[in-house]
Amino acid sequence: MKLFFGVVLCSVALVIPVAVLAGGGAGFDGVVNTIEVRYHAHATRIPFIGFISFIARKGTHEGVANLHVADFENFPTEIDGAELNQIVEDKLGSEWQRVIRETSRHGGEQTLIFMRPEGARMGLFILDKDHSELNVVQISVDPAHIDDDIGRYSHHHGDGLDSSGL
Amino acid sequence: MTKNFHLRLATLLLIAQFAVRAFAQSAPQLIPPQLEKELSAHASDVTEVTLNKSMLSLATQFMHGKGDDDAATRHLLEGLEGIYVRNYEFDKDGEYSPDQIEKLRQSFMTPEWTPVVHEHERRSGETSDILIKVVNGENRGLFICSAEPREISIVLILGPIRVEDLSKLHGLAGLGALAEFDRDDAPKIKEKDKEKSKAKKDGDQ
Repeated sequence: MKLFFGVVLCSVALVIPVAVLAGGGAGFDGVVNTIEVRYHAHATRIPFIGFISFIARKGTHEGVANLHVADFENFPTEIDGAELNQIVEDKLGSEWQRVIRETSRHGGEQTLIFMRPEGARMGLFILDKDHSELNVVQISVDPAHIDDDIGRYSHHHGDGLDSSGL
Repeated sequence: MTKNFHLRLATLLLIAQFAVRAFAQSAPQLIPPQLEKELSAHASDVTEVTLNKSMLSLATQFMHGKGDDDAATRHLLEGLEGIYVRNYEFDKDGEYSPDQIEKLRQSFMTPEWTPVVHEHERRSGETSDILIKVVNGENRGLFICSAEPREISIVLILGPIRVEDLSKLHGLAGLGALAEFDRDDAPKIKEKDKEKSKAKKDGDQ
């Protein structure tokens, strides 16, 4: 009987932190909501972002879609970079893979870039913090179309970008 | 009944624990965890690039160039299993010790890794190491560590790769420094475990 209660107690102890982390939703909104709560900051969301996303999709011939943007101003300049990274990883979920992380001491500057395959497209999640300003962007890109656009840009503007697009 | 339940529960928990550990170990260890913590704690800026096979596969979708170079790079990336980069920048000299670099080198001193270049400039304190992973006579990986007084760069590339191919990867994020491998004056690997000490030479003179 003691063992049974022990197992139940351990399960509850495991479930509670998971439930707390799960609060605030998942994905882009989950990340933004959790950052707002954790750092007592307010995110400015772009009005009519769905419409802008639609225009971007048409304007780029399906190259860019599913645009999400959140902008934080007056964000705490000094933060724990590891904690911020953990928040983003937890909220995005395991399907997102972090490919780039740049962090400065005391968290003044932070860059996190995550990628995930979305069929023939690629999901990109970018968080960039520059002292008191933090921007979060998520987009879905079609590599074929983006590459064509970059190719055109490269022809017009010299060697500013390479073919990899990265 | 209760005993069976407990047994099943314990087995499930055990399996879950093993699964979590197996998942955690799937990414190769670039730097011993303790050393990574120490370097990160003293660095003013840290850059991490993690491109495993699936991410490299995604990256190749962005390469639709018709040129031979693009095709060769795409082919090279498709064969790779992963590219891992760590870059540490420090505000001042002496934020890391030569022992830490030695510890890093030692972590790759396994039978499958062969040191091909070890360069140490005593005056400037710069150290460069290149190790190649050889499996069944074929190159299956490359490890590069460059340590300057205020910067440490570590690159691990897993998969069939040659030093001559490195310049093709300079377009990828975090690998810009590899462009210099394309230059005529880039270091060429000619002998095993080569050690230089320019300061010693200067001292003799």
